[in-house]
Amino acid sequence: MVEVRNLTKRYGSKLALDHVSFTVEEGSIVGFLGPNGAGKSTTMNIITGYLSATSGEVLVSGKNTLDEPQEVKKMIGYLPELPPLYMDMTVKEYLNFMYELKKARLPREKHLSEICKLVKIENVYNRLIGNLSKGYKQRVGIAQALIGNPPVLILDEPTVGLDPKQIIEIRTLIKNLGRNHTVILSSHILSEVQAVCERIVVINNGRVVADGATDTLAHDLSKDHRLLLRAEGPEREMVHALLGLPHVVDAVSLGEKEPGVFELTVESEPDADLRRDVFALLARKGWPLLAMKNMDLTLEDLFLQLTSGDAALAHSSGETSSDEAEEAEQGGNEE
Amino acid sequence: MKAIFKRELRSYFNAPVGYVCIAALAALYGYFYYQVMALGSSGYIRNVYGTMFSFSMIVIPIITMRSMTDDQKNKTDQALLTAPVSVTAIVTGKFLACWFVFFIASTLGLLPAVAMSFFSSPAWGEILGNYLGTLLYGGAMISIGVLISSLTVSQIIAAIGTFVVSVFLMYIDNLATAISNKTVSALVSWLSFNSRYTTFTQGIFSVSSTVFFLSVIAVFLFLTARRLESRRWN
Repeated sequence: MVEVRNLTKRYGSKLALDHVSFTVEEGSIVGFLGPNGAGKSTTMNIITGYLSATSGEVLVSGKNTLDEPQEVKKMIGYLPELPPLYMDMTVKEYLNFMYELKKARLPREKHLSEICKLVKIENVYNRLIGNLSKGYKQRVGIAQALIGNPPVLILDEPTVGLDPKQIIEIRTLIKNLGRNHTVILSSHILSEVQAVCERIVVINNGRVVADGATDTLAHDLSKDHRLLLRAEGPEREMVHALLGLPHVVDAVSLGEKEPGVFELTVESEPDADLRRDVFALLARKGWPLLAMKNMDLTLEDLFLQLTSGDAALAHSSGETSSDEAEEAEQGGNEE
Repeated sequence: MKAIFKRELRSYFNAPVGYVCIAALAALYGYFYYQVMALGSSGYIRNVYGTMFSFSMIVIPIITMRSMTDDQKNKTDQALLTAPVSVTAIVTGKFLACWFVFFIASTLGLLPAVAMSFFSSPAWGEILGNYLGTLLYGGAMISIGVLISSLTVSQIIAAIGTFVVSVFLMYIDNLATAISNKTVSALVSWLSFNSRYTTFTQGIFSVSSTVFFLSVIAVFLFLTARRLESRRWN
């Protein structure tokens, strides 16, 4: 539905986007995650045609934003970082203006009242936008994006300025919209993206550093799985036996945690699952296995590692995202 | 374009700017017509429009100063530029709204003449010529003002810039007579807005002058549209 190919954007000498590419399938909700200033808003501004890219292209449902700008703009509803509201208009006047501006062809009264009901702004419908609270302004901004029922919604930090209850409401709304819209939303709040999105694209310093399904992203990216286990038995012999297993790269004891019980980490080769072998080995030797868990990174760890410090800066653009994540994780482990 | 025109026009009357500009011009028209009455000769009508023309050119920068600056400053241009409308339509809509405000003011300036016509017979040809000339000259000046307002986010800078250009255009004729080089002098007077405008003040409808002013409007709207477009590339 939305295809972003090799977007590069320079502001003077500053490289804001560096070969950003990703695709968003029809009917999915994709979260655009990154720290402030990572290039989220720039990417969104380019997709919506507000800015143009230095190089690269954006296709929306097969149509190039440069070749058919009007057609593409008709398909996109956009909530910019700062909602584009005219403070001297009432909500009613503003939404009617946006309706005309977008050349929507729906039954106007019905369409607008539906949207107002959806984002819960009916009670401020006749008030001046300049007098509304930030949360209401934000919701008028969302309402504006929904006018004309565009198939693609691009929401730049949609929950900023809302109170916790409203945040939950808006998240639910976005989830519901995701059933029949393609949604791209940006955020620097991880839990938000996790709660709403099916897929996450992590961007840092203008580069895509990770891209995958929300549930499996952390798992997939930490390719060198490590197991953390507790077993009762002789420390040195256990480590030695574990090192003898196939696909084991490293085994380290973390010391005695309970009397006679040691904590160990076992690092495997990429894509190997050691759990059964480890269990069988310890059972055969008669060393009771007391606990075992995968040491996958949480999404939070991953995000921090991907977006902080040297690990994220060091990699070159030629590498794939998973390699980068691996590198980043290793960098993190050394700390 | 219609949506933008309507919104812009409404914004002039949501804020007092539109009322103030119109009221100021209408009041001045009334005052100078009163002088005509006091002097007791409709032959002075030319003086009314001569003076009012200068005042109109002072008010125009006030009308145009916010046309492009506000959108850029409040980021509302994001709504306009990401909507399925062309930049030309955006610029034209804004220009027409400014021109319409000026049109209302100038048309109100005809009221004293109408009142006068009940008691005497003012030279309508001359009055309408002046009216039309002011509208066309004003339109050209407004298109320049809109361009200048698109170059800055500050209303004050836009207003002063437009004001300087409008004063310069009023006195460019004096320059033409002072220049000894024939070609440069001819070029300056050909570019002069004043000489085009003067034909109207004599009560003559000049097609070539009309085309001239409309072309100036088209050129500056085009430049403003390009300016908006170029902002995407910075």
